[in-house]
Amino acid sequence: MSEKVIEVQDLVKVYKDVTAVDKISFDVYQGEIFSLVGPNGAGKTTTVEILECLRNPTEGDAKVLGFDVRKDEKEIKKRIGVMPQEFNAFERLTVKENVELIAKIYGVKPDIENILRELGVWEAKNRQFHKLSGGMQRRVGICMALASDPELLFLDEPTTGLDPQARKETWEVIRTLKKMGKTVFLTSHYMEEVERLCDRAGVMVKGKLIATDKIRNLISKYGGGIKVSVEGRNIEKAEKMLKSFTEKVLHEKNTVIGKFKTREEASKALAQLYQLSDGYKIEITEGGMDDVFSQLTGGRVDDRGELI
Amino acid sequence: MRSIIPVFTALIKGWLRTKTGIFFSFLFPLMLLLLFGTIFGGTGTQKYTLFIQNFDLEDGKQTELSEAFINALESTNIFEIRKLDPEIDINTYVKENPSFEYNYRILKIPKGFEKKLYEKSMTIRLNIILSTFSDFEKYSGSMNPDDLKAMREGKEKLTQLMENLPASESVELIFLAEENDMSAMAVEGIIESVINAFNNRLIGVEEQAMTITAEPLAEKNMTPGDYYLPGYIAAFIMTNGVIGATATISELRRNGTVKRLAATPLSKSSWILSNILQQTTLAFMLTAVMVIFGWIIFDVHALPNIYAILLIFMGAVTFSSIGMILGGVIKDVEAASGAGNAIAFPMMFLSGAFWPIEMMPGYLQTIAKFLPLYYFHEGLRSIMIMDNPSGASLSFLIMGVLAVVFIVIATKVTRWKEL
Repeated sequence: MSEKVIEVQDLVKVYKDVTAVDKISFDVYQGEIFSLVGPNGAGKTTTVEILECLRNPTEGDAKVLGFDVRKDEKEIKKRIGVMPQEFNAFERLTVKENVELIAKIYGVKPDIENILRELGVWEAKNRQFHKLSGGMQRRVGICMALASDPELLFLDEPTTGLDPQARKETWEVIRTLKKMGKTVFLTSHYMEEVERLCDRAGVMVKGKLIATDKIRNLISKYGGGIKVSVEGRNIEKAEKMLKSFTEKVLHEKNTVIGKFKTREEASKALAQLYQLSDGYKIEITEGGMDDVFSQLTGGRVDDRGELI
Repeated sequence: MRSIIPVFTALIKGWLRTKTGIFFSFLFPLMLLLLFGTIFGGTGTQKYTLFIQNFDLEDGKQTELSEAFINALESTNIFEIRKLDPEIDINTYVKENPSFEYNYRILKIPKGFEKKLYEKSMTIRLNIILSTFSDFEKYSGSMNPDDLKAMREGKEKLTQLMENLPASESVELIFLAEENDMSAMAVEGIIESVINAFNNRLIGVEEQAMTITAEPLAEKNMTPGDYYLPGYIAAFIMTNGVIGATATISELRRNGTVKRLAATPLSKSSWILSNILQQTTLAFMLTAVMVIFGWIIFDVHALPNIYAILLIFMGAVTFSSIGMILGGVIKDVEAASGAGNAIAFPMMFLSGAFWPIEMMPGYLQTIAKFLPLYYFHEGLRSIMIMDNPSGASLSFLIMGVLAVVFIVIATKVTRWKEL
């Protein structure tokens, strides 16, 4: 496995009477897209802001690019790129002016045209920030985070509040970052987003990190396996056959559902099923991060990020 | 520190592109300057209209002496004199000219003005000579007997001459004015002083035993606008800081711009200095606009010198630091603006920036002396009007200390973490 760029050990953050982050530990590796995923109030932003040196940890340790968040604030800030939650720039400055401002603060002279072109905002370079759409604003935010050519980017809820189209476009931008060789740390409450975009994720609820792993592993462990549903006449034949592969078979009217733990098991059953096919309608569904989340927490997260 | 200029530039650009910002920083103060300047200052020296009806005519022409008297009135430069034909009946004229009513101040010079004045002044002069002779007689101990004799003979001849002269009476001028005319008394007073001077000349008193000269407060030639301009400049630098900076900071905090900047290597002190630099720049821009505006509209001559610039700088730092404190402590934008207004407006009116503090009741004058704005505008006045920077030393001291104190507090309360 490649080099660790973030190391978090038993991190705790307490606000007055609320424990926002409750002893969490995880690592992020170079070049990956990592996400903390969970509902609002889970402690994702607090964690990110501790790593960005915008908050002080109460207990525990966190290292970013090898630097301690408590002691090496300057070194960390110099090396990371940040897009805060509900990000805003100077509203009356143009896209280009905002990116230039950040570059000047870092004391660097990046190829701004290249950055703006890469992220598709070059055409809007002379427009004032407040006149842009939400999706464009996020892109500009990412351009600003890229201005200092950081190796690590923190994007806090980069697609919250965007329409589905803009969200997908933002995913493309984030994939571009990965191609550029950047490590991306993001937070999200959209399970689909994490599943499609990230390499690894940590599931966070009420300040606790319940599971951290590759997306693939999370789904196969907690995704509820593979569902094969068969619909048609003479459904009993199919039911009998499925039962010879798995114990989990449900029969509802003219539909039979068989659940398999792994893809291998499912594929064996499917092979037989197609042989005896009697005009069956077969549907295969694999679990996703939604299932992982409900398996782990017993709840779900709605579109606004609320736990239900 | 190298970040100060870029951040300052961003703040200035942002401000320049906000129409409401420009309105409240520049146009609003200018509107008030125009309003208050017109109410309190007036545009230049006021002249009073005075109608004169001269009945003392000889072959249809004004007598020499009545003309000289009118010229004397005119030479005061206070009256705008209009002559009314003696044929006109004044009561009818007032009715026929409604607009005339508002400032009808009429001086009637009666027939026989010249003749009576000559006779009367002759009598007075002779009386003076006689009474002088009498005074000499009382203290005649040291006098040469021949001189004394000659003087007594002269006195007798003069007394005979006096008896032959017709009985003289004083000339009575008639001054008509409207009852509600507040300025009529002033006009009457000025006419009286002209009459006195005229009387003195007639009896040959050229030299005056006592004089009074009205001199302007400072060496410069000042207009009322000059007096008010420093007050306006001070007041609006204060409102720009206490209201403007508060609103800017709390809005940037609310919308997340501050957090974005805090996540960069920009230091908190650079952020504070950038904001103060922006407010100071605005303060100087405002000063320039006010001075130019005052010059065009009110013919104001006061120009800020190096001391004024230094004091303006201290004021801008003090008041923008107060703005940074309010914007930094109060999270809600509305509440922060409310607090800014609640501090700025009472301070603006209580400090005597807009009117002389002596016009206010005693307890309000005491309150004024606890307000930073009081020392700011008093100092600025002392420098710009009196041309007396040493008279502003208390202002320099207080504003200097306050600038440091508030900048320290602003640094303490501005959060750069846990936003």
